[in-house]
Amino acid sequence: MTPFDVEFKNLAFTYEGAEAPALKDINLTISPGEILLITGPAGSGKTTFCSCINGLIPHYHQGELAGDVLVRGYNTRRARVGGLASLVGMVFQDPESQLVTNSVADEVAFGPENLGVPREEINRRVAESLKSTRLQGYDDREPHSLSGGEQQACVIAAVYAMHPELYVMDEPLANLDPEGKAQVLRVVVELAKQRGKSLIIVEHALEEVLPLVDRVIVMDKGGIVRDGPRDDVMSEGEIPFVFTRPPVVRLGEKYGLNPLPLASGQFYQSLSARHTLGRISDQTPPEIDPGSNDLVIQLEEVSFSYNNNLPGQTKALNNINVKIQAGEFVALLGRNGAGKSTMIRQMIGLLQPDSGKVTILNKDMAVTPTYEIARMVGFCFQNPNHQIVSFNVRDEIIFGLKAHEVDPAEFETRIHDSLEFVNMLEYIDAEVFDLGKGQKQRLALASVLSLNPEILIVDEPTTGQDPRMAAEIFEILKRLNESGTTILIITHHIELAATYARRAVVLSEGGVIFDGPVRSLLMNTELMKDSALEMPETTRLASLMSGHGIPAWLVTFDELDQAIGGLVGGGS
Amino acid sequence: MTIEYRKGTSFLHRLDARTKLLLFAIATVLAVVILDPILMGILFFLLYAMGRMAVNRKLLNRNLRVLVVIFFTFSMFQVIFFTPEDAHFLFYLIPVKNWIPVTVEGLVRGVAVFFRFFSVVLAVHLMLYTTPPVELVLALTRRKKTRRITRDAALILLIGILFTIIASLSWSESIKNLPLRPGMRFIVVLLSALIPAYIIQWISNRGLPPEMGMALTLGFATVGILSQQAQKITDAQKARGYNVQPKNLIRRVQVLTALLIPIFLATLERSQDISIAILARGFDYNIEARTYRRELVFTREDFIFLSTLVLLLIGGMTLNYFGIGNFTEQAIFQWINR
Repeated sequence: MTPFDVEFKNLAFTYEGAEAPALKDINLTISPGEILLITGPAGSGKTTFCSCINGLIPHYHQGELAGDVLVRGYNTRRARVGGLASLVGMVFQDPESQLVTNSVADEVAFGPENLGVPREEINRRVAESLKSTRLQGYDDREPHSLSGGEQQACVIAAVYAMHPELYVMDEPLANLDPEGKAQVLRVVVELAKQRGKSLIIVEHALEEVLPLVDRVIVMDKGGIVRDGPRDDVMSEGEIPFVFTRPPVVRLGEKYGLNPLPLASGQFYQSLSARHTLGRISDQTPPEIDPGSNDLVIQLEEVSFSYNNNLPGQTKALNNINVKIQAGEFVALLGRNGAGKSTMIRQMIGLLQPDSGKVTILNKDMAVTPTYEIARMVGFCFQNPNHQIVSFNVRDEIIFGLKAHEVDPAEFETRIHDSLEFVNMLEYIDAEVFDLGKGQKQRLALASVLSLNPEILIVDEPTTGQDPRMAAEIFEILKRLNESGTTILIITHHIELAATYARRAVVLSEGGVIFDGPVRSLLMNTELMKDSALEMPETTRLASLMSGHGIPAWLVTFDELDQAIGGLVGGGS
Repeated sequence: MTIEYRKGTSFLHRLDARTKLLLFAIATVLAVVILDPILMGILFFLLYAMGRMAVNRKLLNRNLRVLVVIFFTFSMFQVIFFTPEDAHFLFYLIPVKNWIPVTVEGLVRGVAVFFRFFSVVLAVHLMLYTTPPVELVLALTRRKKTRRITRDAALILLIGILFTIIASLSWSESIKNLPLRPGMRFIVVLLSALIPAYIIQWISNRGLPPEMGMALTLGFATVGILSQQAQKITDAQKARGYNVQPKNLIRRVQVLTALLIPIFLATLERSQDISIAILARGFDYNIEARTYRRELVFTREDFIFLSTLVLLLIGGMTLNYFGIGNFTEQAIFQWINR
């Protein structure tokens, strides 16, 4: 029939009710066995692209479709989603919302059951899929009790069991912590290498995915702006606001390395082959500014466990001692389940410690109700949808102001100022439904900021966001911190944490295992590894080159550029 | 407080899902058939003993404890209001005023009612605790299978005979009034029993449409997540500074709506995600020809258990047939009269 797995012919799609097309002028073919990365900023049409391949467009999402998509020669207009499902294995971003049964084995069997595969064959496939995704022995586990990485691996196993001809993964790593990312990535690699099926993967995490893929497509505003073999796309350079290559690639280009390196080891090798490397003088990491001596957060010997009465319960928090002074910018790190969320919930009285004392702004949290402390302590949750209660941006902020009995005369200036702070002033009259995830996150932040909190506590604000939006949120937090607000942020994004925060607190199994300058944490490779903290590729490079005097705590492109510049200049 | 499936390998866990559905059905009928409080109590404790083998005792008690108050109230109603004319009077509940007479009949009934309700509720608990929801749904869902006439006929006949026995025990007087010879009488009763038997067999062969079965399974799988989500939203609103339980009633309504909007939206979003997820995994491929990995098999244990239940049922009816269904009450009367 057709030599291609997927063929897009002049495809354009506009969602019902939308003005601008979500996809336009898409023409491309994907050959069997190809491994393809699609990247681009949020809203560039990547998910719409994926939905076209498995027939959700036009069969589930309504809208105007022009052109054709052929999957193995079948026109998706005439196929059912269920029929295409036997050809196209889809993995979406949020593993939790894809799990539909009560046990891992049922979950994996669900697809083949739908396809009417005989029972013995299903049992064989379940065993095979669990083995190749390293989930053996998980058969009877409840999918929702698994860690994020295990859940996503389970989803992949479920898709694998259907034996599709091609796999489409829409940001499979976005909602995972570094440990989960590593686990899922391993599964994806094995899957891609073993079976010789095509794999289309949509991701922002370029550093992790680039080494796997043959071909890269960059999308923007519904169109394909770049398409070609990986190394070609890399060497064609950046597209501002659309495509930013990983820092190591950019450094490689700057120092004329060919081919462009994707990882630190490769970079170091090529660099030493090309330049005689000298040595620069040692530097000490920047000290934390001791700040004022004004304690605003104080946890003394705090212990806590969920479900006290059940035997064999481990403590969620075990003898925590943390003091944070006014004006600090602290990153709270650690693997999922280490107790980070439990700890910040103690700080606003959502949970009460079993023993120990929590003092916030000189108030004993044992006797201060949450709604009272909320005036001074702003708290942003991971999912902005849980926080937003209004249909309109302005109403949303007013709602918070009303709850705290702010004088209505101040409303307009407060709304204006807080929206301006998060760069959303032009959305002041927008409907919440029309906002993207990054914008909702910033709106949630704005409604907290409108109350002028002294302390801001933020729980993983960058999950599932593209790198530019993530950096933007940290940029906002930094400005806020400079104006005097104390900031405590939970994040898995070590690179951003190291760039913006000054102090890091690392939790592991309910205890504090590190408390000090972020940059010192970067040099503690052992501890980083034990806590599944993901060392930035740039820092990895810096530590590889520490023999040449490059400090192992460098993180940003500029810092490394400067250091390597000195090195290469000194050597030649 | 939710009753969720607990893993285990106990006797109850090993039983087929259909057996446990029948356990619930028969326990309900037994609760009506058995009049004697002591027998009812024995039945309850037998069920309870099986429950203890199957799930954590603390868990079981926690759920039953709440019901004690409710069922105790029910049985108090029986004690207070069941006072027929010729009842054996014991004492007044409020002595000075001679209000609310308590009778032997009332007391006996009260105790029986207490165990009666408990047995039915316990049977439901046991079913839900020991059966994976998927299997429960599977037991109710229509499947495509090869039809075997002999097996269907045997099943109809079995149920028919059971009904005939029940009929002759319960309505013996009315049956005797039929203007027919005894042999013909039996045949007529058997034939009319075969009609409901056929209907039951027909229904159990049909079951729910698979789409509905799937919806039920999805419901079971997402209940936990939705309640978790609601908790997260409540937390988020508390953290924004809403006093979630203010004293002012109007404020309380306002706060409630503030919680409901995100909960509603999140649920809507979740259900859309799930519908996409199941479509992408071939849900509408050909649902009538769907395979079910889990297989429901009756084992010897199931047959023994079910036969025991049926024997209990017939035994209870036999007692009633000979007019000694209420032997405790009768024993008390005899003791009083002596």
